[in-house]
Amino acid sequence: MKFALLLPALALTLSTAQAGPHGEERGPHSARERGAADATLPWKRNPFPSTYAPLPRQDTLIVDATVLDGAGHRFEHANLLMRDGKIVALSTQAVAAPAGAVTIDAKGRWVTPGIIDVHSHDGDFAAPFTSLDAENSDVSEISDPLTPNVWAEHSITVQDPSFARARAGGVTALQILPGSNNLIGGRSVVLKNVPATTVQAMKFPGAPYGMKLACGENPKYAFGEKGKFPSSRMGNVAGVRAAFLVAAEYRKKWQDYVSGKHGKPPEDDLKEDTLAGVLDGDIRVHWHCYRADDMATLFDVAKEAGFRIDAFHHAVEAYKIPQLFVTNRTCAVVWSDWWGYKMEALDGIRENATFVDAAGACVALHSDSPWLGQRLPLEAAKALAAGRRAGLDIRAEHAIAWVTLNSAKVLGLDAQIGSLEPGKNADAVIWSGDPFSVYTKADQVFIDGALVYDRANPARQPRSDFELGQPSTTKAAKVGGDGK
Amino acid sequence: MANKFLSLASAMAAALAFGLAPTDASASETVAIVHAQAWTMADASGGRVDDATIVIRDGRYDSVVAKEPPPPGARVIDAVGRLVTPGLMNADTHLGLVEVSSLEETRDHGVSGGPLGAAFDVQYGLNANSMLLPVALADGLTRAATSPTAASDPAFLGMGAVLRIQPGGSILDRARAAMYASVGGFATKQGGGSRSAQWQLLRNAFDEAKTYAPSKTVPAPRDQLQNSLNIAALHAMLETHMPLAMRVARESDIRQAVALADDYRLPLIVLGGSEAWRCADLLAARKVAVVLDPEADIPWTFDELGARADNAALLAKAGVTIAFSVSGNTIHLSHNAGAAVREGAGLAVANGLSFAEALKALTIHPARMFGIADRYGSMARGLDADLVIWSGDPLEPASAPDLVLVRGEPASQITRQTLLRDRYAPKHAQERWPPAYRP
Repeated sequence: MKFALLLPALALTLSTAQAGPHGEERGPHSARERGAADATLPWKRNPFPSTYAPLPRQDTLIVDATVLDGAGHRFEHANLLMRDGKIVALSTQAVAAPAGAVTIDAKGRWVTPGIIDVHSHDGDFAAPFTSLDAENSDVSEISDPLTPNVWAEHSITVQDPSFARARAGGVTALQILPGSNNLIGGRSVVLKNVPATTVQAMKFPGAPYGMKLACGENPKYAFGEKGKFPSSRMGNVAGVRAAFLVAAEYRKKWQDYVSGKHGKPPEDDLKEDTLAGVLDGDIRVHWHCYRADDMATLFDVAKEAGFRIDAFHHAVEAYKIPQLFVTNRTCAVVWSDWWGYKMEALDGIRENATFVDAAGACVALHSDSPWLGQRLPLEAAKALAAGRRAGLDIRAEHAIAWVTLNSAKVLGLDAQIGSLEPGKNADAVIWSGDPFSVYTKADQVFIDGALVYDRANPARQPRSDFELGQPSTTKAAKVGGDGK
Repeated sequence: MANKFLSLASAMAAALAFGLAPTDASASETVAIVHAQAWTMADASGGRVDDATIVIRDGRYDSVVAKEPPPPGARVIDAVGRLVTPGLMNADTHLGLVEVSSLEETRDHGVSGGPLGAAFDVQYGLNANSMLLPVALADGLTRAATSPTAASDPAFLGMGAVLRIQPGGSILDRARAAMYASVGGFATKQGGGSRSAQWQLLRNAFDEAKTYAPSKTVPAPRDQLQNSLNIAALHAMLETHMPLAMRVARESDIRQAVALADDYRLPLIVLGGSEAWRCADLLAARKVAVVLDPEADIPWTFDELGARADNAALLAKAGVTIAFSVSGNTIHLSHNAGAAVREGAGLAVANGLSFAEALKALTIHPARMFGIADRYGSMARGLDADLVIWSGDPLEPASAPDLVLVRGEPASQITRQTLLRDRYAPKHAQERWPPAYRP
């Protein structure tokens, strides 16, 4: 029997429509047990396949909108056609609506690609935050500094109300990461921001996994304080280097086995699987790091171990070393203005994103917060404004890429999402006005062509189970004459 | 008549220069800002005056009149139609009490042991050279309430202060501006595990304070839970009608706070108040003010299950006086106290609050709550001429101050961040000498 295992690299070429709800995605239940027999490298398996199915959708023609397409263009009075879950046409010329399509007049309104949050903890650091979470949070596995074996998707509370808040802020896809206490914190997962009762039903079909690492203060304090390794920055670096030395050996053993050099399969190891996936280039590298000198060291660590750093997250001092981001083809994933809450964040400046952008490197803005995650376009607005005040000539159609196309690049999904180019997934937002204004709201949000949120229609404003019957939604008591 | 005329651009340049070499403010100077869209905060609708001439004498407002020629001899700044407001006030920060949040040696807003509960008074820890203050000022903040976060006594956090954010000199505007306390949520642990106990202990403390007689050498005839330092502080609080600032989020606790304030005749400020909209009418009837975070729209804890984005709008509609503070994962609270509170006000407007009400919540409302309206909060004659000329709508995060005046004098807009910005600007990319050789 042939196993229909989904390889992340292969999946990139599958369209969402093809993948279907229960189609190619479904792997054998006993993949792990039978992994050795099928002579597949264990880290190439997909034991938790996506069961995502697009929500019911209707072909939609949006007319007369100001469009920032994510790919650097701005169109006035433009028409956008979404058919069968894909972008079909974006034009300032008339676009014919197919039979049965809904036409939305967006005169005076703006349209952008769906917003992508590349650094979220929605679901794995979920609301409500409770005393149980204060003791042991699902966001980090703090029993060991090196936990590449843990997967963020296994911590996700799909009923976290923050998903709905983000959706109302135009967020159509998110990367959920493990926390930053560990040197290697585990695997991230990319989700479509659709309401679901299982995490598998939110998983972005075919999205590459990511691996979260952390440098600097967090790991050395989280573990050093308990008298454990690492307790210093040099310990941080040594820990990661040692882990990849072991992983390289593991990877070679398995490769030798699969290519027939040895008859007996090596022991399968969940930790090494993730690291081997990184060395194969299947699993993307997301490194939490702040300081320029720390990041420069890690560029060398990656070179030595033989992998590429896809993104440094937070990177508040990226502006001090923009050329290193260019030469290493690494994205700087940053905030617009966070600074000062710890030593390694002391030198944060508001021009960070724009200075790195000006050097020609990839920049994306992230939230790391369920509150900020509701207004990522405002992050772009703030970064843009700071850059302009510093004398840089940046346009809105360029800046929107920091929360759309560049974000898709960070996730390795820029062939599917991030811009409104024909052939891409129909993830789009109709904004009530300029998305860079504080007063603007997402009017309608589409994922794969389905209208998943509509500000004007309560029936299209999904709420999580947790919020049912809670005081946020119930009526306030009327106060009597005595005021009590 | 010879006006010393300054364009906005040259005034901005002057402000930058002042940052490098502070000048002696000429006490007798008259400054006139012409062609301003002034929001004076003089009336309920924000006191807007178009094409206004704002006249400042000796660092204080003299007049704001439409289309008035500037007085002879005045230094004139042309606002070219831009929006001008009083300097803003953030109603809940730790400014002056923190540098790097994670470093305990730079953090003075709370105590974890020792005898000080209600008596803990943040005024002695204020640092006028804090690197956060120039950032706040450059963002248009000229006043801030700075609050205690913890004291060794359950429920009481200590006494906060109001800061005057200005370059150099003293930043203390009003000491003991409010007595802070916290009930519910994760604070319950310190109260023995029940919020009931916290309310009982608070009530008991005020009972003790009422009967406290500082002149008597004879000890009180019953057990005193509050030590003499704390009881004296509470006694003084009652005597001076110091407001009680209660950090509470759940509706039941907000109602308990109102009952407590009624019973002990305390002016009450609710801090946080995620569920305050649920008792808006009660708060309006009792003239209870609310300092809220407009970003707090997630049921983040069981105390905030009623959190809503339109909390500010619903409270204002009911007639409650509101002011703002923005936590931003606690990062914006102090470090971006100016920029974040403007953005928060903008979000409140996006969720139904009027623009004028939002500006009042950034100026005159907190000024009244914390007892400094006799010198700050509007452009009324005689008040400190702390004002901001904005590049655009001040509630848009993309806007920034073009010019900040502190008592009539242009304030520096140089911060440690702008120095880093200039040192690492892209124009230096090809230079061979390391950045450390640049200014």
